[in-house]
Amino acid sequence: MSGTISLESVSKQFPGGVLAVDDLSLEVEPGEFLVLVGPSGCGKTTALRMVAGLEPVTSGEIRINDRLVTRLPPRERDIAMVFQNYALYAHMSVRGNMGFGLKMARLPRQEIRSRVDGAAEMLGLTDLLDRKPRQLSGGQRQRVAMGRAIVREPAAFLMDEPLSNLDAKLRVEMRGEIIRVQRRIAAPALYVTHDQTEAMTMGDRVAILRDGVLQQLGTPDDVYDSPVNVFVAGFIGSPAMNLIPATLSSEAGDVAVSFGTTRLSVPARVLERRPRLAEFAGRPVTLGVRPEDFAPAERGDGLANVTVDRVESLGSELVVYLDGGVGEPLTARLARQATLEPGQQTQLAIDLNRLYFFDAESGEAI
Amino acid sequence: MTSIGWRIAKFLAVLVIVVWSLGPIAIGVTTSISTQREVNDIPTRWVPAHPTLNAYRDLLQGTSNQRAGGTVTEAGTFSRSLWNSTVLAIVSTAVILVVSTMAAYAFGRLRFRFGGALFAVLVGTIVIPIFVVVIALFKLMADAHLIDTKRGLVMVFVATLTPLATWLLYTQVREMPTEPEEAALIDGCRRWQAFVRVVVPQMSSGIAAVAAILVLSVWGEFLIPLLLTSTLTAKPVTVQITEYVGKYVTNYPILAAAGVLALIPPALLALILNKRITGMLAGSS
Repeated sequence: MSGTISLESVSKQFPGGVLAVDDLSLEVEPGEFLVLVGPSGCGKTTALRMVAGLEPVTSGEIRINDRLVTRLPPRERDIAMVFQNYALYAHMSVRGNMGFGLKMARLPRQEIRSRVDGAAEMLGLTDLLDRKPRQLSGGQRQRVAMGRAIVREPAAFLMDEPLSNLDAKLRVEMRGEIIRVQRRIAAPALYVTHDQTEAMTMGDRVAILRDGVLQQLGTPDDVYDSPVNVFVAGFIGSPAMNLIPATLSSEAGDVAVSFGTTRLSVPARVLERRPRLAEFAGRPVTLGVRPEDFAPAERGDGLANVTVDRVESLGSELVVYLDGGVGEPLTARLARQATLEPGQQTQLAIDLNRLYFFDAESGEAI
Repeated sequence: MTSIGWRIAKFLAVLVIVVWSLGPIAIGVTTSISTQREVNDIPTRWVPAHPTLNAYRDLLQGTSNQRAGGTVTEAGTFSRSLWNSTVLAIVSTAVILVVSTMAAYAFGRLRFRFGGALFAVLVGTIVIPIFVVVIALFKLMADAHLIDTKRGLVMVFVATLTPLATWLLYTQVREMPTEPEEAALIDGCRRWQAFVRVVVPQMSSGIAAVAAILVLSVWGEFLIPLLLTSTLTAKPVTVQITEYVGKYVTNYPILAAAGVLALIPPALLALILNKRITGMLAGSS
């Protein structure tokens, strides 16, 4: 295990004045798979391209393996990159594509051959080595692009939405494959995606970017369980967290949160964990409830008054859309046993220990 | 508005176009295998009674003044002019392709000072008719002792056709994905290596189409070589053909034979590259 990728206060301002990346600092540790995730236009691809050297940085420093590369051309950075549309060399065979970087590095022909053969075997491409890219399926092209990256044995891997052109089934398959290959190579990988599922399933750590600003960096569980603000809370998780405008009240040490006709008293344990919560008494807050923290009424403590709007069965579970009297519809994930009809007025339990609170003004977690 | 009526109309339209374009060629071919007497027959004979290749023989091997009936041909002259045309077309095309491929890539991909303005000026020259500068051009070439040299002609063709070629290739560069060349940069290439090893192969179909357009353009040039050549050191076939128009009498079979032979190389090229050229001109390649 060796090699790191580190960005120190990296910013990118485009000639038009758009600030695509704003003071981004993060470090990909040896062997780590770090996913940079965010909605389109959040600057994640620009950040990746700066690491690759395809886009000059406006300010800040980039180091790969502790070597300052900020102003080096891509070829001197010892990196490999997998592009969204694979970017294969159409006029070369699979073997030519995979061996191109080694050829440019003037490796002996025998060495190139054996490395390409090895990578092809790892990726199941052995029978396709003489084909041209246009004769391959999307998944095969994706594998060739991966192969081209790994034969180089680079100090770092960069991947720019490599799975977004694949169909859903293949995407799940390739997710596992990419992780398996990266573990074997053990080089640090910076992976860009807009898909939070990919981020959660693939990343050792996840960095969430919005408008060029890093929002949160942590393990998938961290960012899921303790989102730092409303944006992260809403972005990570599917279906997304319910973010409910609510008010906080405090009577004789008993803190309660209310929205619509629902009033939930906040358990002492939660208050202990969030000492600042008491300060927000009488002020509007954003209450966060994960869809899976709803349950049928008989099972929980806090009861919410809701009207069932729509019920979707996913087979394994139900996704229920509710009117909680707050304007925005609420989403709940319930076990299939729950019997709910559209139009029905009912109560659902909310796991009070798993409530999230955000400052309604700043959006920061309380 | 019946579909049968529409189809007949379409058929007729196509027929008119085909007759219009192929008619002269057909007449040229039949004339070239006729005898001078048959050509002059009234009423006109469209198909010769006794087809003969005499005109071709006369054209290539030379005739006496007597037999040719006013048109004088000398052995080797016509083939010499064909050779000149071939050299001019190939050399000009090669030079233009090298220059315009690089220029198109630079204008299409790289950001540099005055790039847009330079490109506008370059493309703007496409619309300037050569007639406007022809006198200045002649004087310039004469001063540089480039009259009646293939070198001089190649220089003029390169200057006049490079903007068009650059513009056609520029559109192709703009449509090409940037990722393969970026992948090449990451794979260890310098910019020019990425250009030679990845960009040019990617552009090959467009380059082939432009090459064909250039060869055809140079082969068909008449005014400039007429002006700038006087002997067979540089005279191309288009100009040489006019020599077979006699002062008093013209031997039409010989003239037609020259036309037919001059037509064969570009026609073959056009047939081979037909799809690529139409694709290029339609904006997709």
